[in-house]
Amino acid sequence: MRIGIPKGLLYCKYHPFFETFFSALGAEIVTSGDTNKNIMDMGVKTCVDEACLPLKIFHGHVNSIKDKCDYMVIPRIMSICKHEYICPKFCGLPEMIKNSISGLPMISSEPIYLQKETQALKWCLSTGSVITNKKSKIKKAFQLGQKALAHHKTGLYEPNNNLTIMLAGHPYILYDEFLNMGVVEKLRAKKIGIITEEFADNSMLEEQVKKLIKKPFWTFQRKLYGAASSFYHQRKINGIIYLSSFACGVDSIIIDLIRFKVGQFPMLILKLDEHTGEAGLDTRLEAFTDMLERRNVHESHHSSHGKCVYSGEDPV
Amino acid sequence: MKVTIPHMGNVYIAAKILFDSLGIDYIIPPLNNKEALLLGSKHSPEEICLPFKLMIGNYISGIKEGADTVLLVGSCGPCRFGEYSELQIKILKQLGFNVEFIVIDPVKSTGIKEFLRRMHRVGAGRKKNGHSKINALFSAYTAMNLLDVIEMKAHELAGFEKNSGECKRILSSCKKEVYSCNDPKTALNILSSYRSKINKISVNPKKNPLKVSIIGEIYTVIEPFSNLYIEDLLMSAGVSSYRNLTPSWWVKDMLLKPIRMNSWQLLEASNEFLPLYIGGHARECIGEAVLASKNHMDGAIQIFPMGCMPEIVSKSILPTLSREKNLPILSLVVDEMTGEAGYMTRVEAFLDLLERRRKNVRFGN
Repeated sequence: MRIGIPKGLLYCKYHPFFETFFSALGAEIVTSGDTNKNIMDMGVKTCVDEACLPLKIFHGHVNSIKDKCDYMVIPRIMSICKHEYICPKFCGLPEMIKNSISGLPMISSEPIYLQKETQALKWCLSTGSVITNKKSKIKKAFQLGQKALAHHKTGLYEPNNNLTIMLAGHPYILYDEFLNMGVVEKLRAKKIGIITEEFADNSMLEEQVKKLIKKPFWTFQRKLYGAASSFYHQRKINGIIYLSSFACGVDSIIIDLIRFKVGQFPMLILKLDEHTGEAGLDTRLEAFTDMLERRNVHESHHSSHGKCVYSGEDPV
Repeated sequence: MKVTIPHMGNVYIAAKILFDSLGIDYIIPPLNNKEALLLGSKHSPEEICLPFKLMIGNYISGIKEGADTVLLVGSCGPCRFGEYSELQIKILKQLGFNVEFIVIDPVKSTGIKEFLRRMHRVGAGRKKNGHSKINALFSAYTAMNLLDVIEMKAHELAGFEKNSGECKRILSSCKKEVYSCNDPKTALNILSSYRSKINKISVNPKKNPLKVSIIGEIYTVIEPFSNLYIEDLLMSAGVSSYRNLTPSWWVKDMLLKPIRMNSWQLLEASNEFLPLYIGGHARECIGEAVLASKNHMDGAIQIFPMGCMPEIVSKSILPTLSREKNLPILSLVVDEMTGEAGYMTRVEAFLDLLERRRKNVRFGN
């Protein structure tokens, strides 16, 4: 049996698990290629207009492998941590795919909860039953998948003595080179250090999040906000570059929460959608990094009269 | 303490009755208008949804009139509504307004102790006993129910009325009269008299008007300013419109949720297309569309603010539903830049299409 796994959304975080799990069950894995123009165009054509770019690209990935597999995994990831969600669109992903794309093979639409191992196993048991009836085999494959996932680390930590910026954003934007037009490579070429949310000190992160009035209910909101504000407090970074897709509901909140936290601290927001031109993106990146360099070299960190350096607030 | 509230349809009338009977000082901001929208979009994040922007506009107008406390209900995800309070508090603080926020979050997330503490803050300083407090809540809820019933009747009978425009007139004079009354008891009496009035208007039962169901995101379907008064437009066009989502429905839904008895009819209807809760009112939207076809409506109009996450999911499901259930559906996306002319053209074209489907074009009203 050929199992199709579209290379979109949280594939970058969880692919070792899905691949190990299904191949341990004896299935052949079919993944779509890296995102390219063709895939994006197909996605834009089939997906509902109002959706964000990563979702459209996911539609494109599904489109590109729908004829090459017998069963497709459309992960309906409801929640990763307790009392937290990812995004409503994730919860309705199989429905969106089913109703927008015709000629699909069978798809998995069971909800996935990852807070507890037992809940994840439940998904595996119901989805694995498509391939085999042996529960013990599925359980074994599940263990192997867990092990593979434990070895899989994402995140970038390339500090630089001169300039380091935090690259923030949902993982499916950060790690899709086509979607973000190779921002990571561009920063490396400019010799700018990068740090991502995964390398924040966990206790510090939680401490920052606790200062919020309301407990965040989106996992990435908690992580990104917590990481950005703890890096900011530790003076680990010189600026923040936030990669966000147009019409992302979650980002519209996170960006402003970070903004309120860091005040005048340098922060560049790059909004991405299917119309984004690379030249404009390059110009903005360059201008931002030039500004950071000037700040380092030519300007001392002296505050203007009566103002804090970063927050711009009155210190008294 | 002077309390202000954001607008959402007729909620302000029920809130007024509640505050009047509790003896709390309050300021009801002017009904949603261009100025509130302008103020709101100026001070809100660019990509946040329309309700947020209108609410900020309401707060600022309320605060300028002297309010110092904002009363707001909340939720706990996964839709953005749950994060409203967090950002709104910060925005108002940055604008230099020194206001207190009382956010009534669901008991499930805050715990009963915190919930009661917040409720207590609403009535702080008032020497009312528990009995009269419960009475006040009850009369506000009754008023909300009555208003919703009157509105529902008016929207439905607009297609059958003999004297055109009668329903619309009664509805607007009802709202005006009850709002100008400061005594809760008289207000309730006014409402019940209007209920019998609307039931007694002369109708022509032989008429066969278009029947349209209004579905979508709860704020934009309830708040007339945000959907460019679509229900008034339908009333003047002699179309019977039906809407399930009302403030009183929301209260009932919230109360019955913990025991899972909430709107089971809608949820059951939505099972075929969207079996899981995904936040917001996406499931209700799908359920209403299914029920609309079951109840032989001519069509449905879905309204949601730009970027609304749950409704995007339901919008992607609706075309399939429309095909399978043979129900024409028009999706309208609203935000602060919605142009009136383009919007009206689409609604009119949709109504024309529905008429033609019946194979006989009706004339006038």
